[in-house]
Amino acid sequence: MNNIAFNVALPLLTAFLLPIISSGSKSATRFVGPFVLLAMLWFALAYFNVLQHPVAIALGGFLPPLGISFHLDNLSLLMAALIPLMMLLLWPYNNREGFREESLLLLLAGAASGLALSGDLFNIYVFYELLSVASFGLAAANRTAAAFAATFRYVIISGLGTVLALTGIALIYTQTGTLNLAHIGLLASQLNNPVGLSAFALIVIGIGVKAEIFPVNGWVPEVYSTASPRISALLAGLISKLAVLVIIRLLVVAYQGSQALTLLLVLGMLGIIWGELSAWHSKDLKRMFSFSSIGQLGMVLVAFSIPGDAGMAAGIAMMLHHLVVKPGMFLLTENWNGPIKKLKGAATSSPLAAFLFMLFALSMIGVPPLPGFWAKLLLVTGLVEANAPLYIIALVVLLTATVIEAHYLMSTALKIFSRGKKKHFKKLLQTPFNLTIATIFGAVLLAALFTLTPLGNKLNQIATESSDRSLYIKTTLSLKLPPQVKQQVSKVQ
Amino acid sequence: MTTNLIHWLLYGGAMGLIVIGIVGVVTLTNIFRIILALVIAEAGANLLLVIAGYRFDAIAPILTGQALSAMPTTQIMVDPVPQAMVLTSIVIGVGVQALALALVLKVYKNYQTLDLREIHHRMLADIDHSSGVISLLSEEQPKGERPLPEPETKNVLNSGGEK
Repeated sequence: MNNIAFNVALPLLTAFLLPIISSGSKSATRFVGPFVLLAMLWFALAYFNVLQHPVAIALGGFLPPLGISFHLDNLSLLMAALIPLMMLLLWPYNNREGFREESLLLLLAGAASGLALSGDLFNIYVFYELLSVASFGLAAANRTAAAFAATFRYVIISGLGTVLALTGIALIYTQTGTLNLAHIGLLASQLNNPVGLSAFALIVIGIGVKAEIFPVNGWVPEVYSTASPRISALLAGLISKLAVLVIIRLLVVAYQGSQALTLLLVLGMLGIIWGELSAWHSKDLKRMFSFSSIGQLGMVLVAFSIPGDAGMAAGIAMMLHHLVVKPGMFLLTENWNGPIKKLKGAATSSPLAAFLFMLFALSMIGVPPLPGFWAKLLLVTGLVEANAPLYIIALVVLLTATVIEAHYLMSTALKIFSRGKKKHFKKLLQTPFNLTIATIFGAVLLAALFTLTPLGNKLNQIATESSDRSLYIKTTLSLKLPPQVKQQVSKVQ
Repeated sequence: MTTNLIHWLLYGGAMGLIVIGIVGVVTLTNIFRIILALVIAEAGANLLLVIAGYRFDAIAPILTGQALSAMPTTQIMVDPVPQAMVLTSIVIGVGVQALALALVLKVYKNYQTLDLREIHHRMLADIDHSSGVISLLSEEQPKGERPLPEPETKNVLNSGGEK
């Protein structure tokens, strides 16, 4: 029954074995990675199918709160299934030599799965660091001077975030004396003081480096415009969501007071304003998308700051929408990387790419039938129903940001669809590989359009389940060891 | 009283190290010094964790070979959990610092400078160049049609030479 632990162990093991495998056989190196990812996907989906109610797993036969536990509910299993799926889509299949990128991607997959499933604060910190190191390597994989410099700044900002997060964790430990999330939730009343709240702020800003939260996102445009589009797609689409997941777990379990929500709301609004204005100002596609991703994650944060199920549902919807749309957009930047002025005639050169761009852009702005509209609608109704002055300000910010978003995306679309010179056409051709993957993302978006009702029902179910604090605590702390493990443990003792 | 004072002194010291480190990372421009500031901040965070588990008049959490019954019942031990965590975080910290130093080498090889502002400037210029955007930085510079004033240092040197 503890198969899900393989989702962490298997990719980590393979990542370190890959150099040895590649010295033996080059072709095996190419197949091992996707095979491991498929196995991870299978384990996660197998759990997803049988899951009736949240389950906790005590790793190594040590019961929580002392032992480390994994918490499996719909949300964490969804992320655990999305990790290998996204990796499979963005895997470097055409990389014929070398194992470095594959190895780092597997490391990233293992650490990300751990982050999604873990129910222990220090364990989360360790997986977060592992994830960081893997993403540093991937960000510098281009080996250009600018990529090294951008990665260095990323390492420093990330290192600072780590220190802040570790300080926050230490402060929580001084207040509660435990690191298990469920146990912290049980003792949440001890955190309702300045020290506890500052611990939350420190962890939000520390983990927020990956979630592109406002004061610590200086690395985003630099890294995304120097790394290859696949890596940008992975970091913006998947990794940022995992950091957000950690923040909302902490929020739901231990910080239900209004101060923590206000902090998220303000940080989110600042992120929206800064991200969208910078995107509006930027002159090339890569930087426009990286800034708009900061803005979108600000919206996600604003959504999660709405109290209750409504906020959780809106936040998860925005998160999943961004997870599909942004990677698709980043994949289009590989050959459309240049000043926006020079994109004239791109539609005649590759019509499918232009159609996909239009689809993603319209969905991101929130034009009615597309999924992006329903996600934004949930957010807007949530903000209206919250009915507090700060939430109304957030609503104004959100709607203004949507207008700005519409302006810069549509003026880019105008350039793409206008007539251009024939001699530029070859430059603007998309590679078939990138185009195929982007088409898959587009198809997912369109498929979501036709299955809105079941998706909405599932979303509500996930939201109610993951915003239920007592359920989380009960699941982990009422855990009993299965008789077999008990026997083994007593034998050792 | 004194134990309380020492307690606060320790917490203050750890917090002070973290603050020194963060201020250093934010204000310094030499990238090597920035890494050192990061090391100081990390040491502060680790110290904070160790202090979180510290108890006065307590023994180390190890088996001493002494029978439990022979120990005084009032004897307490230090909380072992933070110590295990600090070991982990020290190891992680060393790994990240090594990676940062490797990147410093790469950056220095490419840009021949350790000044973060200049590196940032040149990196932005590189990104602008690779994406074909006219750099904002170059808009601030004179276009070259206007004659530049003679650099003053040259005159000073010349006049000094004549005298």
